[in-house]
Amino acid sequence: MTIVEEKSSINAAGGWAQMRFLPEIGDLSRIVVLGVLVVAGQILYPGFLSPENLRVVLTAVAGIGILAFGMTMVVITGEIDLSVAGVAVLSIVIGGLLLPTGSPALIIGATLLCGLCLGLVNGIFVAKLGVSSLISTLAMLGIASALANIFSAGQATYPEKIAEYMWFGRGALLGVPVPIFLLAVMALACVFMTRSSTFGRKLYATGGNARAALLSGIRIDRVKIVVFAFCGLCAAITGLIESARLGYINPAAFPGLELKVLAVTVLGGAALAGGTGSVFGTLVATLIIGVVNNLLNQMGVSFYMQQVVTALVILVVVVPGMRNRRFVK
Amino acid sequence: MIIAEATSAPAVRASGLAQIIREPMLWLVLSILVLGALTSPHYLSALNIQNLLRNAALVGLLATGMTIVLITGRIDLSVAANMVFSVIIAVVVTSWIGRELGLRWIVKGNTFAGSPLIFVVISLLTGTAIGALNGVGVAYFKVASFIMTLVSLTALRGLSYLATNGAPFYLKGAFFNWLSDELWLGVPVSFVLLVVLVLFAHAFLSRTVAGNRLFAIGGNETATLYSGITTNRYIVASFALSGLFAAVGGLVFTARLKSVEAALAQGYELTAIAIAVLGGVALAGGTGSLWRVLTAAVGFSAGLNLLAIWGVPTWYQNLAIGAVLILAVSLTRLNHKN
Repeated sequence: MTIVEEKSSINAAGGWAQMRFLPEIGDLSRIVVLGVLVVAGQILYPGFLSPENLRVVLTAVAGIGILAFGMTMVVITGEIDLSVAGVAVLSIVIGGLLLPTGSPALIIGATLLCGLCLGLVNGIFVAKLGVSSLISTLAMLGIASALANIFSAGQATYPEKIAEYMWFGRGALLGVPVPIFLLAVMALACVFMTRSSTFGRKLYATGGNARAALLSGIRIDRVKIVVFAFCGLCAAITGLIESARLGYINPAAFPGLELKVLAVTVLGGAALAGGTGSVFGTLVATLIIGVVNNLLNQMGVSFYMQQVVTALVILVVVVPGMRNRRFVK
Repeated sequence: MIIAEATSAPAVRASGLAQIIREPMLWLVLSILVLGALTSPHYLSALNIQNLLRNAALVGLLATGMTIVLITGRIDLSVAANMVFSVIIAVVVTSWIGRELGLRWIVKGNTFAGSPLIFVVISLLTGTAIGALNGVGVAYFKVASFIMTLVSLTALRGLSYLATNGAPFYLKGAFFNWLSDELWLGVPVSFVLLVVLVLFAHAFLSRTVAGNRLFAIGGNETATLYSGITTNRYIVASFALSGLFAAVGGLVFTARLKSVEAALAQGYELTAIAIAVLGGVALAGGTGSLWRVLTAAVGFSAGLNLLAIWGVPTWYQNLAIGAVLILAVSLTRLNHKN
């Protein structure tokens, strides 16, 4: 929350321009961490790099990863989206209400559309009304998860008869499980969007120095609305994948998802002050979390100890980056 | 940059009664009470008001600590996790001390019946220490407060489970009964505690140099630093205070439940933020009045209590919280624009 100081000290010095050339250093350290973890995993557990285990690792984090891509883009613009868990749950519940129609296109379409619309509402509140995104998306989290419970009367629904729905969680494409396939596709799309398109430049400019961006003719309100809508869509996709994996649509699903996703995003190098971060970094961070969780599972470490270890990993990876950034000035 | 400009100019204050009349939160509380009195014969009963104030005491304590951190322009997401953790550590450590002394302070395997004095001291120390730790990370290691406290939230929840294996502890003894049930002139002792603590905290913030410096840090941190003030120490102090308030909140909460478990109070950090915002605290820092936050805590509890009396399901209550929150910030925002 040291928004004021960080913005003036880092980003006014051309932070976003630097970060387009510098992230290799930050990403490199993350890649090294990932590499060390993978090598250590393979030494400790010879089956670690087997296709079966890799499939387990990647499928487990695919949902979180996709959502973290959307979150990364929101964070790059200097905003935050705390509503993702609510948006994901309301989207799948809306899909669940349409299960009796038996039409996969309608069910999946409604799920994705719901996520997109809720994200759009978030964006409009932030960009047009100028409400702090921390508060408005916090309110959206409460509203969306309440509506999910109200619409479903708290009852879970089971999409198992809709094969196309289940495909998102349990299907495979060219031998690759669909969640992993989607993770890869979304990663490619998001990397392209942020690195090689005009929109990407607008994104970093908006977060780096909003006033400068505005004065150079960038419609920062539109940029923000687009990223919030996209983040909402990502939340719906994640909801779809996770509910299909579990085989049921639970209106009480995903408690605390926003914090997990934010943790991955920050681990990926995005600063909450905006203007920095990359989708590629977030992808590496997703893989780090996946590998750490998998290794801890193999060691038989309890779920609660895993929470503590994950928190420490984030701190260890994030803190040196923060200190460096102070010297960038 | 834009944020700093918006917060640095303090509003011109009207004095005395005029100032009180202008408080929107006060009007909200009054209208909720009138609405309650008109629609339910039980709403204004002593029992219901006492219940309402007990709720307000808990959320008010968390929101007060949160406000002190928000004033410096930072945020503390770990308040709820800290409040549960400090009570759990107090149970574990106190019963360990009891074992060393040869006293049976854990009866029936999971019921705590130890010395309340040691229990209270340890829980307050734990809460404050965790808060100070957050502060050190934020101030000296330059970790964004959002991240630092998010990390400690995760870690504290994990540690709370590890310390208890996820099982609840029951709390027995006159102290817990006193803290939850005792009335002073008809007012629950926990609410009196909140008011007294707010009185002290308010005096600290508005009448002491240290308190004014917290506002200065939130208003313009660079300027404060360049004026020769060691901002880092004040930031650590604000987080430590937030931890202390969280620990007191933990005592009030667990005394009411007569038990504590690791999964307790999930998401209360969001309630605390919501109340602080309803109380007019700006997330950018530099502004905030603890009296308004106290009023907001009472208003929040009064509103939820009214919905419960009307028989509105919990889901609609959550919906109402979200709607009120977004309405409050949107109105404030529109007001500013005009």
